[in-house]
Amino acid sequence: MTAAAQRRRATWQILLFSAGLLVLTVISAGSVYLVNKARDDNAWVVHTIEVENQVNSLLLEVRRAESGARGYLLTNGPEFLSDHQKAVAEIIPALDKLTRLVGDNPVQRDGIERLSAAIEARLGQFGQEVDLVRQGQPERATAMVREAAAQNVTATIRQIADGMMREEERLFRLRSANSDRSQTLAASMTGIGSGLVVVLALISIFLVRRSARARDDAEARLRDANVNLEAVVDERTADLREANNEIQRFAYIVSHDLRSPLVNIMGFTSELEELGGDIFRRIGGLSHVAADGPPLASGEIALEGPDKQLSADFSEALGFIKSSIAKMDRLISAILHLTREGRREFEPEKIDTREFVTTVVSTLAHQAAEAHATIQVEPLPNIISDRLALEQIFSNLIDNAIKYLRDGVAGEIRIRGRTKLGYAIFEISDNGRGIDPKDHQRIFDLFRRAGLQDRPGQGIGLAHVRALVRRLGGTMSVSSELNAGSTFTITLPITWNASNRNAE
Amino acid sequence: MTQPVSIIMIEDDEGHARLIERNIRRSGVNNEIVPFTNGTDAMKHLFGADGSGLVQKGNALLILLDLNLPDMTGINILKQIKENKYLKASPVVVLTTTDDSQEIKRCYELGCNVYITKPVNYENFANAIRQLGLFFSVIQVPPAAT
Repeated sequence: MTAAAQRRRATWQILLFSAGLLVLTVISAGSVYLVNKARDDNAWVVHTIEVENQVNSLLLEVRRAESGARGYLLTNGPEFLSDHQKAVAEIIPALDKLTRLVGDNPVQRDGIERLSAAIEARLGQFGQEVDLVRQGQPERATAMVREAAAQNVTATIRQIADGMMREEERLFRLRSANSDRSQTLAASMTGIGSGLVVVLALISIFLVRRSARARDDAEARLRDANVNLEAVVDERTADLREANNEIQRFAYIVSHDLRSPLVNIMGFTSELEELGGDIFRRIGGLSHVAADGPPLASGEIALEGPDKQLSADFSEALGFIKSSIAKMDRLISAILHLTREGRREFEPEKIDTREFVTTVVSTLAHQAAEAHATIQVEPLPNIISDRLALEQIFSNLIDNAIKYLRDGVAGEIRIRGRTKLGYAIFEISDNGRGIDPKDHQRIFDLFRRAGLQDRPGQGIGLAHVRALVRRLGGTMSVSSELNAGSTFTITLPITWNASNRNAE
Repeated sequence: MTQPVSIIMIEDDEGHARLIERNIRRSGVNNEIVPFTNGTDAMKHLFGADGSGLVQKGNALLILLDLNLPDMTGINILKQIKENKYLKASPVVVLTTTDDSQEIKRCYELGCNVYITKPVNYENFANAIRQLGLFFSVIQVPPAAT
């Protein structure tokens, strides 16, 4: 999975989450709003019903008052009068209440005004009728009733009330429809919102599962890669080891086979030298005899003139050949020595390093005394390693330190040690002539030397030491400035085992 | 030498062979020197066509052997000589360029009588061979049969 795809997927997930949150918020807000609206609509419906009830109860009270008045008129019974009076007392508050209820509707207000007027007129009539009955004039009261019936005030009241009822009916239908709509809207909103949330959740689950699968795949690939890597490392290590062995064998065979012709060259050069000596002796002998005299006894006869020159040239040429052969022999011997060291099996053993280094130093005490150098061995960490290899490493480095001191400066050589992460680090430092930083790599090469060439040497020591350190599974470095001393640092595993390196 | 001992010289390098021969002669040894430049011819001479070594029965031999031969290793020849009932009593002098301690040890284990590393320095070389010649002039060599 590429980084871009991963970023895209993460963006998608954030977007989905935001969308889900947004939808939920909208649904919540919408629901609150719609529920409120539905409650309002319901309240209006209830209000309408209340108004209708109030109108009905008002009409009922008017009827009761009317029937009470009539009963009183006919029977003159006081219970009818009290009935009538109770009903009349109810009418006014009922009317007031109705007036309050329909205060919001101008149509109904108009109706109520007319209704109030009609009821007041009717109540006036009732009062007159009752008064007349009380004064003992029932005929006049009856006449008034007839007159009232003719005026049809009651019918007017009913008519107005019917009108109001119709208006309320209309409002009721309207408000019921409104309320229904609000509720439907709220329900559908909740439904759609829930659906959306469910869909988003499903998409999220899908995405999460997909990324989990991608992660599992990546993990599996990583595991495979790790396993592969180990195999590859093993393979490469084996290859390197083989190549190294090949080089060792090659170097051994080459140096060995180079030696054979060298023996011939050297041998026949010596033979030639002897032969040359014989020839020049004879020439000398011949040039000193008289033309007819007997040859002189062979012996040392000095050559003269061009003969002497020839003899000198001959010896010089042979001398160069022989010194070159000697040098070549030394180099070949060095290579042989190195390759032989490279093939030697290490035998790790526990080494008291300080005591061991002190012993090495004591074998070099003579050279140190000659060079006026003091050698200080500080406490060193003990290690398990090959004794012979370590001896060569330390004696080479200390020997170098003694060999390359500055003239006229008392030598101070210090050997320090410490441990770090399973490795022992040794430092051999001196206050000698130092090494130019540009030569730091070169001094480790075979047959290469640096600086003033005033000391005998083949340029083998450090190459040998580094090869040994590497075989012991360690590393080696130098830090030095010209005329400021050198410090060689060797890092070796505290416990050497064959698997560190060169297990064959 | 009291008996006519032949010196079998197995040396692939003709220059070396010549130098060795010269220096042996200089030390006063006049025995027959039979040179071979490869292992196969030397083996044929030593063991005969049938490979039994019967051909050398009764001959007194001294074998000068180089380890680095073009067709086989000297160690192999040494091993076969020391395993052969007719030849095993013959002295074998290994004269080679190798100074590897492992190889020296192996040769002595296989029954080599003298192991000499050829010095590159010719004076030492000549000296060594002359001393070897002196050694040859006093050594008692048994005949190859028992």
